[in-house]
Amino acid sequence: MPKDQFKTRLEIAKKKISKKNLYDNKNNPSSIGTAFKLSTELVSAVVVGTIIGFIFDKTFGTKPWFILIFFFVGVVAGITNVIRSAKNMQK
Amino acid sequence: MTQFNVHRIGPEIKVGAFDISFTNASLFMIISSVAILLIFSLGSKKNSLLPNKIQLLAELSYTFVSKMISDTAGSKAKPYFAFIFSLFMFVLFCNMFGMIPYTFTVTSHIIVTFVLASFIFIGVTVIGFIKHGFGYLKLFVPSGVPAVLLPLIVVIEIISYLSRPVSLSVRLFANMMAGHTMMKVFGGFVISLGIVGGWLPLSFSVALTGLEILVAFLQAYVFAILTCIYLNDALNLHH
Repeated sequence: MPKDQFKTRLEIAKKKISKKNLYDNKNNPSSIGTAFKLSTELVSAVVVGTIIGFIFDKTFGTKPWFILIFFFVGVVAGITNVIRSAKNMQK
Repeated sequence: MTQFNVHRIGPEIKVGAFDISFTNASLFMIISSVAILLIFSLGSKKNSLLPNKIQLLAELSYTFVSKMISDTAGSKAKPYFAFIFSLFMFVLFCNMFGMIPYTFTVTSHIIVTFVLASFIFIGVTVIGFIKHGFGYLKLFVPSGVPAVLLPLIVVIEIISYLSRPVSLSVRLFANMMAGHTMMKVFGGFVISLGIVGGWLPLSFSVALTGLEILVAFLQAYVFAILTCIYLNDALNLHH
């Protein structure tokens, strides 16, 4: 009998662990991490966009055009980054 | 700003065009790594039921990081515990050693933080491709977007993905650099105002030291937690 009892208790314990793991992913990240994210997220996307535009201009020799386009694309990417982090914080 | 100067210690070593001499930056990286190794080897030496101070320190930091990983990246990220733990400890110790007067703050140099961040970025991308194959590219194509807008959206997503290492490294570097510069400026006020008016900036400087210790811990924490978030994106693909 004690063996059976042990088995059922083991089953219950295992179920508990798997349930806990399911909830693990739904836990939203600690808000302080996401809060610090916002400040630099906007700037860094603009910088990366401008650098990509600069590289394209240098390789293709089309001086101002790619840098102009990618600057604005970078701004849009930065704003999407910020909106996405803000949405994550609200969850 | 002599505190940010990198200078050579010992002889000059050159490999091809690269200067790989031993500098004060490398010295402080080694000091913090050795300190971490010392604390954790002493802390895990004898596992007594009633822990002494060092064992308590080691166990507390272990559970702290372990909880952080399971909260943000879920149970799938458990195999990456060792990496995130050593990353957190390295950044924390580098920041904290920088708070001691006459030392060098390794993390106040963008090249150091950028190398750390790009290492994480490449690692996370590789993990994503191993786990999901080419399905990882779905990260750049959000669902429910009209086909006309798709090229633009993909470019925006790629830029926002590439901006991750930049934002990660700039955040740590800027916080450390700005804090140390501010302390230097207030210290300079104390000297220039002399014994009459120097007391006010001196009290500010004391308060700033406390703030800087908080920032040093918080930035190490943020660095580690963002690594967890990026790892979570790579392991559990959902957008």
